[in-house]
Amino acid sequence: MLELKDIFGGYGKMTILNGTSFKIDRGTITTVIGPNGAGKSTVFKAIFGLLRIRSGQILLDGTNVTSNTPARMLSHGVSYVPQGRNLFPMLSVRHNLEIGGISSPDQAKIRRRIDAVMDQFPILREKADSQAITLSGGQQKQLEIARALLLEPRLILIDEPSIGLSPQMINETFRTLIRLRDEGVTILMVEQNAKAALAMSDYGLVLEQGRARMYDKADKLLHDPRVGQLFLGAHLEEEA
Amino acid sequence: MTEFIQLLISGLATGSIYALAAIGFTLLWQASQTINFAQGEFVMLPAFFVLAGMHFLGLGFGPAILLALVASLLILGLTFKRVIIDPLLPHGVLPVVIATIALGILMKESVKQFYSAEAQPFPALFSERTITVLGAVVSVQDIAVLLISLSAVGLLQFFLTGTKTGRCMQATAQNPAVAEILGVNVKRMILYTFLINAALALLASVLISPIYLAKFNNGETLGLIAFIAAIVGGFNQIRGAIAGGLLIGVIDNLAAAYVSAQYRSAIPLILLIIIILIRPQGLLGKAEGRTV
Repeated sequence: MLELKDIFGGYGKMTILNGTSFKIDRGTITTVIGPNGAGKSTVFKAIFGLLRIRSGQILLDGTNVTSNTPARMLSHGVSYVPQGRNLFPMLSVRHNLEIGGISSPDQAKIRRRIDAVMDQFPILREKADSQAITLSGGQQKQLEIARALLLEPRLILIDEPSIGLSPQMINETFRTLIRLRDEGVTILMVEQNAKAALAMSDYGLVLEQGRARMYDKADKLLHDPRVGQLFLGAHLEEEA
Repeated sequence: MTEFIQLLISGLATGSIYALAAIGFTLLWQASQTINFAQGEFVMLPAFFVLAGMHFLGLGFGPAILLALVASLLILGLTFKRVIIDPLLPHGVLPVVIATIALGILMKESVKQFYSAEAQPFPALFSERTITVLGAVVSVQDIAVLLISLSAVGLLQFFLTGTKTGRCMQATAQNPAVAEILGVNVKRMILYTFLINAALALLASVLISPIYLAKFNNGETLGLIAFIAAIVGGFNQIRGAIAGGLLIGVIDNLAAAYVSAQYRSAIPLILLIIIILIRPQGLLGKAEGRTV
């Protein structure tokens, strides 16, 4: 579904992505893991058009979407939930959702979609007129995910969804992602909580120094001693 | 008591004009982290656009105001953003502060040089009649100024909260990176903010000039008081700017009558110091965090 071919890019003169290449399948959850500075969040920015890459190609279902703007990526059915708090704190829950669909030319459909995602996340209906800042951390994350669903994306890029959440809320968020996967949405996720993330994913991708070093079924990676070695700070041996 | 009511209404009228200018500070700060130290001159200049339209182009007062609106939107909105703010803002807030101080001086001296150094009479928008309210004699002009300013603020609030474009502007002010990710045209929203500020400056100019006459240095006091009003009310809240403007207008009037006319201009500064000491985020403002 999504294929990255030999991507090079970074910030200013600093190169973060050093020939990143990988492919993910439709209707799966793939977790990207790797040490700090491996380029996990940067690869998401490159896919979503927030970082102009120097070379390489990004294909979405065979269509070249390299260096598309975020607005174009939304129209291609890609949503991005960045790391941290991503809400408009002083706007109501309903208006936060509304802005998630602002790029759609069919606003009547967006109004129906807001109703539909509120059915999926009942707490958001309950708090529809409350300011987003009044929601708990878990509820805020649910609102971010709900907002990303408004345009009925084929692919969701979600960066560190568990950050700042209680264990109970992390489980709740992961269950939501599994439900979305079961509905056919493809999910590419960056997660520091690698064990928990791989346990609920279909595939795992290990990034190191801006290159995809391992890609396999998540349960295999979970039990691979080299993954543990990587997270202890060691570098992977160059594969023959 | 009747004198108090009279002073209160006239203070609210002047304060509502301060509020219009103070809202400009707040809007630009929220949308683009810009502090415009030429804001006072932004209120001074449109009156001269109107006068130039009337005297050099022979326009009537109404068409001259329309001309001034177009000129304000183009010069104080679009050109200000494109020529000064856009190139300087990536280098931080300080270059913008210095540039806007310089712009204020340029605008002031240009009006002095090319129009006149003398105060110019400005056509009154309303009758100079007075009416009696609760026994107090109040000018129709004061009441009209108050009503028009508050209506403009009400319309602005309705636009920002009641329309999709307004909410996109709020979203841009609250979290521009995420607004862009969701497909909001962030650049356009910021431009709208600058255009609204220019329109508010024109309104304030047309309302205040019949009272204080149009003069090249009107912006000095007005800009300072509006800045103080924005800080006193809360720099990051429109309702704070409104409250700050009205409060300063009323306190200024009451202080002149009951304390000392000589020290009236010190009163807003004293208020500013007190507010900064006890509530730095302003009366209705919210504390802002900064990550370094």
